[in-house]
Amino acid sequence: MRVVRYIGKRMLFIGPQLFGIILVSFFLVKLIPGDPAVMMLGPLATEATLTELRNEMGLNLSLVEQFYIYIKNLVLHGDLGRSWQTTRPVTEDLFLRMPATLELITLGLILGLLIGVPLGVGAAYLKRGILAKFSDYYGLLAGALPDFWLALVLIFFFYTILGWVPPPLGRLDFFTIAPPTVTGALLIDSLLDGNWAALGSAAGHLILPVVTLGLISGGPILKMTQSTMDRMLESDYSRYEEMCGLPKSIIIRHALRNSLPSVVTIVSVLYGFLIGGAVLVEIVFSWGGAGQYAVQGVLNADINPVLGFVFFAAVLSLIIYLIVDLIYFAIDPRVRG
Amino acid sequence: MAENSAAGTILNIEGLNVSYPVYETDPVRALRGIDLKVREGEIIGLVGESGSGKTTLARSIMQLISRPGRVDSGRIEYDGRDLATLGEEELRALRGNDIAMVIPNPRTELNPLVTVGMQIANVARYHLSLPRKEAKKMAMAMLEAVQIPDPTRRFKAYPHELSGGMAQRVVMAIALICSPRFIISDDATSGLDVTVQTQVLELLQDLVQQQGASMLFITRDIGITAHYCHQVAIIYAGEIVELASTQNFFDNPQHPYSVMLLSAFSHNPKLRGLWTKVVDAALEGAAESGCYFAARCVRASDKCRAEHPDMREMTDAHSVRCHHPVER
Amino acid sequence: MSVVLSVQNLVQHFPIAGSRSVVQAVNNVSFTVARGETLSLVGESGSGKTTVGRCILGLIDPTGGDISFHGEKIGKKHNVRSRGLRGKIQLVFQEPAESLDPRIRIGVTIGEPLRSLGEKREDRNKRVREIARRVGLSEDALYQYPAELSAGQQQRVGIARAIITDPELIVLDEPTSALDPTARAEIIDLLIRLQKELNTAYLFISHDLSTVRYLSHRVAVMYLGMIVEQGSAQDIFSRPRHPYSIGLLSSVLLPNPNLERRSEVSLQGEIPSPIDLPEGCYLASRCPFVEAECNARMPDADDIGGGHLVHCFKHRNVIDEEKATLDYFERFQEEAEKLLISGH
Repeated sequence: MRVVRYIGKRMLFIGPQLFGIILVSFFLVKLIPGDPAVMMLGPLATEATLTELRNEMGLNLSLVEQFYIYIKNLVLHGDLGRSWQTTRPVTEDLFLRMPATLELITLGLILGLLIGVPLGVGAAYLKRGILAKFSDYYGLLAGALPDFWLALVLIFFFYTILGWVPPPLGRLDFFTIAPPTVTGALLIDSLLDGNWAALGSAAGHLILPVVTLGLISGGPILKMTQSTMDRMLESDYSRYEEMCGLPKSIIIRHALRNSLPSVVTIVSVLYGFLIGGAVLVEIVFSWGGAGQYAVQGVLNADINPVLGFVFFAAVLSLIIYLIVDLIYFAIDPRVRG
Repeated sequence: MAENSAAGTILNIEGLNVSYPVYETDPVRALRGIDLKVREGEIIGLVGESGSGKTTLARSIMQLISRPGRVDSGRIEYDGRDLATLGEEELRALRGNDIAMVIPNPRTELNPLVTVGMQIANVARYHLSLPRKEAKKMAMAMLEAVQIPDPTRRFKAYPHELSGGMAQRVVMAIALICSPRFIISDDATSGLDVTVQTQVLELLQDLVQQQGASMLFITRDIGITAHYCHQVAIIYAGEIVELASTQNFFDNPQHPYSVMLLSAFSHNPKLRGLWTKVVDAALEGAAESGCYFAARCVRASDKCRAEHPDMREMTDAHSVRCHHPVER
Repeated sequence: MSVVLSVQNLVQHFPIAGSRSVVQAVNNVSFTVARGETLSLVGESGSGKTTVGRCILGLIDPTGGDISFHGEKIGKKHNVRSRGLRGKIQLVFQEPAESLDPRIRIGVTIGEPLRSLGEKREDRNKRVREIARRVGLSEDALYQYPAELSAGQQQRVGIARAIITDPELIVLDEPTSALDPTARAEIIDLLIRLQKELNTAYLFISHDLSTVRYLSHRVAVMYLGMIVEQGSAQDIFSRPRHPYSIGLLSSVLLPNPNLERRSEVSLQGEIPSPIDLPEGCYLASRCPFVEAECNARMPDADDIGGGHLVHCFKHRNVIDEEKATLDYFERFQEEAEKLLISGH
């Protein structure tokens, strides 16, 4: 099978690709000014204790040696080091936080699709009229508005004034008991646990951040859908289907199917971007996601979380691109060739 | 090919003018006063160079003129009904069902993501309100009728997996599946190799005649019309300049433009020179009064430059739009 | 007549990336072109005729066989651009508009080949004007850009650029297929006139049989990378022997309803893909005369006199069946002449 061979080929490249990403990010992160030892021991520490700690952390070694140790630990033990802030292994931290981020952006992008695709299709089909105008303005606004600002506006209206949603403080109400962690995604875990209280609470907390991301990511999805649909509806085969007297619904459906590869592409790009890019929304909602974790690391010269985050994000991106390619295979027989 | 004079008229075009507006200048007049009758069971060949308005005519009949073109005047009657008065849904019911189109580039005009079998079946499904299964069965029968090798396998093939000749047969299957009464073929075989072209033409002719349909066969290749059409119409700069039965036309072409087209096939430069005028490209297309062909015409007189000629019936079934038709 | 170009057992196979299969574009092709002669390679798309042209120009290195120019072997290393050969073999392309640089004036384009031969500027300009006159381009046209000329004029530029070095061989790759009929006829006239004046050899690659009949001395019919039949134009058009030639000829539709090459021989289906061709005759899958022998091995050339070579086991049976022996291109010309004279 072509698909299997193709995936196999891709797998072979994943190792070198990841190595490259770690190599570059390792040395770049080391360039961030700030001494972890000073951060950890505070301004009153003596030079002797600082040196001792530096030696203990391996900071006295050359960068190349440090990199070698880092890679060795990663490959042999799956160890990404510890965060001095949380004092826990980075891997554990990320396995706790990454699902929170993924749950958020996945739902956000699904909402973005639900907004962007129908609007894009409608705007492309009708060309003029209220819907097309609305789509134009929406696309413009979604591109121009900062996501954290939109989040604050939403909180102001729906929490402060209307009180329809729970406070923007984390993923669950303070008193709700979290379900046992299986996937890390609270909706799924509480469903598995049959914990309806947690399910409701988690859903309530998800509403605003998901709406924020959905509204923002709906913009580019809409623009992409609209422009490719425009092209597909003007294409030779759409005209031909019109000449054959096929109903509009069929012509639109076929054109949409031909536009899907572009939509999938933009969604995958957004997904990769949002893993880190949703950080401001995470902060506004005190989400405790991976992005927030990484930023804390950067601010406090806590290097391992930053590198760990880059590594996780890279792995996720590679998985997403692989999925995208599989979707292309499924949609387009010419790729299957 | 037998004459078909007793049959009724299926398509009647009268005084059709179509133009494309151009920003800040005069609109381009793509069709100028087209009169054309197609009788039932008749194949009419429409010959013209690129840009002569052939495709616009096809799209006008389909009521699908590409934007921003518009019909300025004239009417197209299909089976006694003025097409301009029909609503979008009525037209949709006609297209592909009563009036079908055979297109020139099937590999770009067939939907690349849908199997050819389903593309044929879809047309039957919506026009004949058949259940999916019935429509598929019918599409399969149609693939056999157009003599595609290994039809069961081809049914599931995608357009890019077919050769040009096979894709052309698929397009014919789509055109013919609802047994249309009128078929427009727009340069349909121009992309094919000659040995395949003849096979496809023979098949198209057979199927059209089997179904008793009429056909407007649009082409740049005047050679094809000599062998596959009952009548020949020559179109120049958006108007029909000569219309005759095939035999009459080729025995006695009367418009200087028609003769010029035919002279291009001659291997004798002197004879060709008799009918071809070397023109400055700048002068070409300038004539808006008088005969549009005057600038390129070897027989042009002052009258031609001043006065636009009307279509005149010279003999039975032979009309020419010329002040000085060729006499033999 | 002295042989200018000789091609012997030319083979060109292209491997397909990621598989063991090869595209057998050219299979064992042999022909010669003599001084002042036109040999036409005719065939449908995929017949390999263009690949043969590219091999001769040294654009690709043949898989096997020899190409020699005046007895001197040429190939990818020693080719059209090599010293000594430069300017002796020229090429005219199919798409005149694409083969001319849109930002360079016509006069400069025409003189370009002389520059690589190191001629002085004054000589060059004089020669450009002389050649332009020869191909029927006005002095003004030399100062224009390609876009300002009609397609026919552009092809005249292409021809002028080819003949300016006084070549002994010109490879014409479908030079008229992008032109409308009137311009096509003019270009053909020009080519015939130039050949008479300059005694150049032409290798004319085309699928347009009507044009081929007009200007060729000899014709080679190609099918799936091999020459199935070759001979004088007269022989090929009036007494074709190979089933494929017959099928090809009867497919041409001339604008005269009374003239049709009604042949009993008709080909089935389409040209198969040139990947992994069978052992036997390549036409076997489409041929009405096919027998066991045809599938077993490839027929060798059978010389039936006058340099008329046929690659077919059954050509004697074919000729018995084939009643339509008239050269209907000739008949068509006679009829056309009558028609064109009578109305004037």
